[in-house]
Amino acid sequence: MATEETGEHPIKSEGDIVTCRKLIRTAAVAAGFGMTDVTRIVTAVSELARNVYVHSGSDGVMRWEILYQSGKVGIQLEFEDYGKGIPDVDQAMEVGFTTAGTMGMGLSGVKRLMDEMNIKSEIGVGTTITIEKWGRAK
Amino acid sequence: MNHSNSKYISNFKSWAEQKRFLNFTDEDAEFLKKLHPFAIEYADTFVEKLYDHLLKFPDTKRFLGDEKMLMRLKLAQKAYFMDLTSGEYGEEYFKSRIKVGITHQRIGLPPRVYMSTYCYYMQLIIPQIYGNPTFDFETANGIFLALHKIINLDQELAISAYIHATDEVISRQTEEILEMSTPVIQIWEGVVAAPIIGMLDSSRTQQFMERLLETIVATNSPVALIDITGVPQIDTATAQHLIDTINAVKLLGSQVIITGVRPVIAQTLVHLGIDLSGIITRPTMASGLKVALDTLSIKVVDTSKA
Repeated sequence: MATEETGEHPIKSEGDIVTCRKLIRTAAVAAGFGMTDVTRIVTAVSELARNVYVHSGSDGVMRWEILYQSGKVGIQLEFEDYGKGIPDVDQAMEVGFTTAGTMGMGLSGVKRLMDEMNIKSEIGVGTTITIEKWGRAK
Repeated sequence: MNHSNSKYISNFKSWAEQKRFLNFTDEDAEFLKKLHPFAIEYADTFVEKLYDHLLKFPDTKRFLGDEKMLMRLKLAQKAYFMDLTSGEYGEEYFKSRIKVGITHQRIGLPPRVYMSTYCYYMQLIIPQIYGNPTFDFETANGIFLALHKIINLDQELAISAYIHATDEVISRQTEEILEMSTPVIQIWEGVVAAPIIGMLDSSRTQQFMERLLETIVATNSPVALIDITGVPQIDTATAQHLIDTINAVKLLGSQVIITGVRPVIAQTLVHLGIDLSGIITRPTMASGLKVALDTLSIKVVDTSKA
């Protein structure tokens, strides 16, 4: 698989979650992230890609970009879906809150795994979640 | 074989639509019918010529088989020529075309051979259409176009059948891989082990859980080791699947030890806030087996040092 420093992949099936993980694992390793960070990033991708798949009626996209800044390497990921939106973002971030019968730890967990996390959501329009992780450049 | 849920093989309704797209009309059917008396008269000669040609090439010859097989193929070919000019292109015709496509795929006839045989077929027929004194130029053109259309329809069905059959092989293999990737083995009297390789998604979990529970009961094992060395990362969904599996095992009265917890996985689980405190975990399968043997009050002795 060719590694791209930026790209996007649609999320329409469960198989796309697998592809998203693979793409980001390859990109993060190539960018020089350590194994612990790679695992954190890929876990976050798995979490958010699954959210898009489960909550949006399987219609969304993942975009990513590798960033370089004064001796540091970063990855920025955006998960955009065209689903029903999140009525209360703060509540969705609470540990144990779920509307899908799952653990309800995904969003709060992702926040802890990442350095930056931003949620924009509009009812009936969709949700965009942006995350960032920074590491030492190789 | 069920064609209705295939995304490649058209059903009869979509085939009718396809006919409309190609502008295949009753007029075309009439044109083809004009070829029918001719087909009756010359079918045998045609078929002989066609198979003489096919037998000249090793690539095609190897699919023709022995004398008996060759006879059957020639008869089928003759019947096709009759069907092609029958003027009836309804559901019967449609079904027999699909059957032919599937048969071709099954005997391993490459689409290349199928297509080039068609081309040679046309080389035999076209001069006969234009050279026939009973057809004026316009009629010959009409017949030629109609023949072109029906053959295009036939080829589309046959090629779709090829793709469909390949697709079936892929989905069967996917299922097989799924099953192979979650083996459950008895590694000691009373201890079963299940090494998970790759991600544990919902479809795999279902299969894995069934297999694990069945093996635990069949081997009457009080301890099950689930090894996650081969799991690249664990997200909350995977963790939930694991916990569900563990709870199901508990209901059978057995105990689960999760082994192969790598440092990065441990860190990620803590960050995600997943609580596995009620579950026995070990970094390696070896240390997990030791716990299992202790639970069963089994002592393994190194006899060389005794």
